[in-house]
Amino acid sequence: MNRDILEKVLYDLSTNRANLKLFSTEPDRFLKRYRLSEDERQAILGYEVRTLANEGVNTMLTWGYWLQSGRSNDDYLAAMRQ
Amino acid sequence: MAHVVGGFVVPHNPVMYFNPDGPDPQQKETVQAAYRTISDRIGELDATSALIIGCDHYILFGPTCLPRYVISTGDLEGPIDQLPGLKRGPIKANGPLGTHISEHGFANGFDYAVGRAMTVDHSIAVPHQLLLEPHPQISTVALMLACGVDPYLPLARAWELGQQIRRAIDAFDQDERVVVIGSGGISHWVGDENMGRVNPDFDAMILDALNNGDVDRLLGLSDEEITEQAGNGAMEIRTFLCAMGVCGAAGGSTVAYEAIPEWVTGMGLAELEVSGRA
Repeated sequence: MNRDILEKVLYDLSTNRANLKLFSTEPDRFLKRYRLSEDERQAILGYEVRTLANEGVNTMLTWGYWLQSGRSNDDYLAAMRQ
Repeated sequence: MAHVVGGFVVPHNPVMYFNPDGPDPQQKETVQAAYRTISDRIGELDATSALIIGCDHYILFGPTCLPRYVISTGDLEGPIDQLPGLKRGPIKANGPLGTHISEHGFANGFDYAVGRAMTVDHSIAVPHQLLLEPHPQISTVALMLACGVDPYLPLARAWELGQQIRRAIDAFDQDERVVVIGSGGISHWVGDENMGRVNPDFDAMILDALNNGDVDRLLGLSDEEITEQAGNGAMEIRTFLCAMGVCGAAGGSTVAYEAIPEWVTGMGLAELEVSGRA
């Protein structure tokens, strides 16, 4: 996986409400902006934060992206501790 | 002539705002009292300007451009990441001092990025609110180091940058009494599986090094050692080293320390002595 492009996606989601809205309503349309492998796409769509962190994605981004989706902090920690 | 009259290190922990009543009440009061003590001390020092040294948390700067260090040379506003009780707004800025520091740097091998109308995050806005808002005469210069996102500013460069800033302030021809505030730390794990862990032993070592002016102890740490022992958040000790550089590594004293898992941080606050203080 490409850590840098994964971070770009998460950064764009965490800093722009329009991006976040588009991702929540039309995720495929939003993700078409980025050159992502299918594995990378699925990791983002599936909120696979452990996988993303294992690929070197900054955990400040994975944490924010998880919480912005309405998921809980306890569930985040459980996912990260898998 | 401008003079550095005081130095401090304080946390910029946003969890204090999101979960104010999480910790033991005594710990909370100790930390809050320490912020008040430092704010009072800044008043006693008759400061006119403050340099707050913080770091971006992957919210101002993204993968398209990651500055090593950026200084405000004009207006300031923030935080971009608002907190309960800390809303985004203008911060009284000292553009001429920031401009002078940057230009002194350009002439002496320090390639600053500059923010001519700069937005800051909570690493600047929290110490500003807690330490400087009671002193409306104080204007601020913000400096943000690459502490949160790799490639990180080398520890040695943070120290050298602080030394350059001191030389620049000493050469500034306006009558300013400057305090420097290193914002961050100490041990905390942000967003990973260890979030909530604190390492009081590491934190004690850092405070001991600050209090003894032991720059070499801090410069001897590797990024791997810092991350392993104290978490990715402890990379913020770069702001401490930079503040030590400004103050001349003349030692200091701990104002308060509390290990607070509920605030996911070892909360260390200290005053730095200033070499050759006027």
